Amino acid sequence: MNRTKAIGIALTSVLLGGGALALAGYSLASATPHQTAQKCVPNPTKVGHCTLTISSYPDSLAGGHGKDGGAHPDWVSYLNQDLSVPANTVVDMVVNQYDGGEVLNNIFFDQVMGTIGNVAKYDGVTLSKVAPDHVGHTFTLRGYPGLNGQSGKRIFLNVPLIANEGENAVKIGSGEYPKPVVIEFSFKVGSKGVYQWNCEYPCGSSRVGQFGFAMASYGYMAGTLTVE
Amino acid sequence: MTTTLEHKAPVIKHEGGGLARHQNFLTAMIGGVAGAFIAWAISHHFFAQDVRTTSDAVAVLTGCGWIVGFWLGIGALNAPLAWLIGSDQTRKDQLYYAGEDQGTKRYWKYCTDHKVVGVQYIVMTMVLLGAGGILAMAIRTELIVPGNHFVDQQVYNGFIAVHGMLMILALIVAVAGPWGNFVVPIMCGAKDMAFPRLNALSLWTLVGAAGLLLTTLAVGSLTMGWVVLAPITDQAGVGMDFFALAILVFTVSTTVAGVNTICTVFTMRTKGMTLERLPIMVWGAIIAAALGLYAFPYFSLVEALQILDRTFSTSFFIGNAGGTGWLQANLFWLMGHPEVYVILIPAVAAVFEIAAVMARKPVFSYRTAVAGMVGLAGLSILVWAHHMFTTGWAPTLGGPFMVTTELISIPTGLFFLVLIGTLWRGNIWMKLPTVWVFGFIANFIIAGITGIYLSDIPIDNQLHGTMFVTAHFHYVFVGSVLFGAIGALAFWYPKVTGRYLDEKLGRISFWLSFIGVQVTFLAMFISGLRGMPRRYASYAFIFEHTNFISTMGAYMIMAGMLVLMGAVIYCWNHGEPSGSNPWHANSLEWLVSTPPPLENFDVLPVVTEDPYNFGKELVRS
Amino acid sequence: MTNSNDNKKSLKSFYWLWAILTALGIAVSLYAPGYLMPESMSQTMHLSVLTMVVFSVAAAPVAAGVYAAALYILRNWTHKGDSVPAAGPAFRESGKVVITWTLTSVLLTVFLLIWGLGALAADSAGSTANPLVVKVVGQQWVWSFEYQGQNGTTVMSNDLYLPKGREVLFHVTSLDVTHGFWAPQMGTQVDANDETITDLHVTPNKLGTFDVRCTQFCGLNHAFMVTQGHVLTPSAFTTWLNAQPARS
Repeated sequence: MNRTKAIGIALTSVLLGGGALALAGYSLASATPHQTAQKCVPNPTKVGHCTLTISSYPDSLAGGHGKDGGAHPDWVSYLNQDLSVPANTVVDMVVNQYDGGEVLNNIFFDQVMGTIGNVAKYDGVTLSKVAPDHVGHTFTLRGYPGLNGQSGKRIFLNVPLIANEGENAVKIGSGEYPKPVVIEFSFKVGSKGVYQWNCEYPCGSSRVGQFGFAMASYGYMAGTLTVE
Repeated sequence: MTTTLEHKAPVIKHEGGGLARHQNFLTAMIGGVAGAFIAWAISHHFFAQDVRTTSDAVAVLTGCGWIVGFWLGIGALNAPLAWLIGSDQTRKDQLYYAGEDQGTKRYWKYCTDHKVVGVQYIVMTMVLLGAGGILAMAIRTELIVPGNHFVDQQVYNGFIAVHGMLMILALIVAVAGPWGNFVVPIMCGAKDMAFPRLNALSLWTLVGAAGLLLTTLAVGSLTMGWVVLAPITDQAGVGMDFFALAILVFTVSTTVAGVNTICTVFTMRTKGMTLERLPIMVWGAIIAAALGLYAFPYFSLVEALQILDRTFSTSFFIGNAGGTGWLQANLFWLMGHPEVYVILIPAVAAVFEIAAVMARKPVFSYRTAVAGMVGLAGLSILVWAHHMFTTGWAPTLGGPFMVTTELISIPTGLFFLVLIGTLWRGNIWMKLPTVWVFGFIANFIIAGITGIYLSDIPIDNQLHGTMFVTAHFHYVFVGSVLFGAIGALAFWYPKVTGRYLDEKLGRISFWLSFIGVQVTFLAMFISGLRGMPRRYASYAFIFEHTNFISTMGAYMIMAGMLVLMGAVIYCWNHGEPSGSNPWHANSLEWLVSTPPPLENFDVLPVVTEDPYNFGKELVRS
Repeated sequence: MTNSNDNKKSLKSFYWLWAILTALGIAVSLYAPGYLMPESMSQTMHLSVLTMVVFSVAAAPVAAGVYAAALYILRNWTHKGDSVPAAGPAFRESGKVVITWTLTSVLLTVFLLIWGLGALAADSAGSTANPLVVKVVGQQWVWSFEYQGQNGTTVMSNDLYLPKGREVLFHVTSLDVTHGFWAPQMGTQVDANDETITDLHVTPNKLGTFDVRCTQFCGLNHAFMVTQGHVLTPSAFTTWLNAQPARS
């Protein structure tokens, strides 16, 4: 085989194979469900503040997972999971908690940590700590922003959501829920980056740590907070 | 449940083959899917849904249905079932099964000819390596810059598990599969393997297992690295069940293949082929097969207990119910370390064989070479806990396991002695196989030395679980084993096809892969030394540059592998004709025509000396 | 076709190549580990880096020898032209070479073992009577650390605070799957296993911050299970500890 032919076959192999791979990769990347991130709404009255509202449900029927809860209607879920906030703002966060709850497996998470003043408002009452045997979920945001690595601002934030023990009263999507416990807290974010958050109350299935299924899958009890 | 397939086809007795005339890969796939569907439908009907253990049970039964249906469809069970009802195979039947006069059609069938099985293994290995390689590219693409950009970490976690497992399976069969089947029986002077039907069974069982493994990607949730150790396995969904079953089925395949290889070499050697006249490749094949027979039962055990834990709520590996994950870790590494040498030894033996022929010299210190391989295999069963130095299990055993592990450098050192000694003062024929042998030497020394660091506990306490470990075993598996396997492919390719694997294309592939390996994995060593743990979907800023370099190197390896694949496909029909003995070698596989006839020899040869006396060449070219 | 040439050649250039590659290898060995590995903040890490250096220096002549041999072979003994090369010299054994090679590798291995076992012993010894006990709890995907505060209270933190110069004994455990508790600058790690406590000890000898990472794959957010440690002066550590709210 002469040199030209060898180079020709080599290039053809690389281009054909590489092209097929790139195509497969591209379709995979676009097929991966990308939830539209929920944007933080700028507060018209307070400069530098924005408001972000999310909810936690005992199932996936509230409408965010497709008709009748999608593949796993009985999995607990947050809506939304992917959040987006502008850089260098104060985020005023509101969590509507619709789910019940029990005992935390680590009392470390009964404390409000990392918010402004290390407190949160529970239905209007300001608390720095809740009863560890009465927790539904937690909103726990931690680590370094993935985008900028460890050069970014490190965050550790934990807000326990107290268990909701009301009777079913409202209908959202195809699910019925009690009136929510409303939890409000504020925290500052710095420069651009992506943080990961999840729930630290073991509310999934499995014999080890109840962290399987909903806890171990994207789109339920874990998500990202993008600072942009 | 799928025996209906058995009776539909008309039986043509007089021509031999019977039912097998209508069975091939397609009917196997149909049988597998039908079996899976029937098993799923029945179990789904009887088990309550949405209960944890029953969804696992349904998955396991569905997987079993697939493999039984696959076996029935390909014809693996024809002969045993026929024997049960008192109908023995005739000589005509046997010749049909061996693929007589069937052309290329026989490559798609349950064929008992060891040469057909060898070719099927070549294709199978390339398919597995290709699938694993695609995942490798996806992983490196995700890690090109910090943060999650290409896929999210859940998908990424699935990729690393399936990439690891596919590659391990591919490399276990990469040398022993194609060449252990194609050339080893001829090297011994045998007409076929000792158990031709088992030979076909091992191949098609591997195909079935690969099907199960790829199913795990489709159903997701296998996200714990290739080691798949409890307790995190308990959080996984049904992907875990398909994985465990795939391994169970795979170990059936390796056991059958291992027994077959050993029996062939010990009972089927031709007259005069004493053990000391065996080509060194044959020793590599049987030592690896014997080690596999020791190691893989642990693997089946681990996965069988895993399935019990999942479907019957037993608690072998569940800490809060009386079991312990350390039990699984021990069983796994009892398999896991010998398995590394099941992979490595055939590649080393192939490299010895190529070095001797290409240097036109005998293997230097043949007995040392055999002793080195036996010593390595023996030591490898005593070192498993070095994978567990940092787990906290038995800290007092750290010292003893450090001793056994570091002793491994002695037999490994002997390999270098044999290789250098064989090449030393030779007339080195720099053909494509030789190029890959030198690549093997360069990479294997890095693999060996970085292994010494990790065997030492004070260093391992720092480097365990980091990218340093990943880079180390990629130098073993990619830099050494894969390079040896490609050398073997280039060396024996003319015997399979009658044509050379093109020299120029092969060298382009070599340089892309060789430079790619250095770039990718040297940079990965640095990532690890600087503190980047393994299996990270995203990483800190300080690891940015080395990861970018690793990704670029990985793309080079991919380009190299694509060129090789292009060359293998192109040269199969269009390569330069090679004649039956292109390397002017003396071992028996080169003395038969190319391609070798069915049953290899008309008259069995009588051997009077080992194949390394190049001075008095017996051979026509 | 028997080859009369036994291909013997002067080995001078081989020895030169070996020496040069060895020198290069040793230079890299002395420099690279300290440069590439994280800043050492404990004796354990110091020992780890030192062992890397010693092993690299010991391995340098071996690796250099193999590379030099391979390059020397390529330089001197490759067959030129398209013809089939004649047979090389048919030597099969050399007891002297095999014994020398084996003895050398045994001696090197024994040296590595003695050094390694010595380092292991040095690292395991020296437990003081009064270490600071810190309970390390791993869970998916957060670390938390528990200290004994004043009057038998418990103090919990997501950041790891350690006093300089005092031995710290970590009791490491997990609430769910296996995690790997690793502080790169401290040079040591141990797994956090559920239902089990594993011990790890280290004596920080440098003020500053260090990283804590998880080295055992632990699921969805494994890559983000990181936190920070701080080595403080003993008085600053006490001040910090006393300022924390009691958790039980």
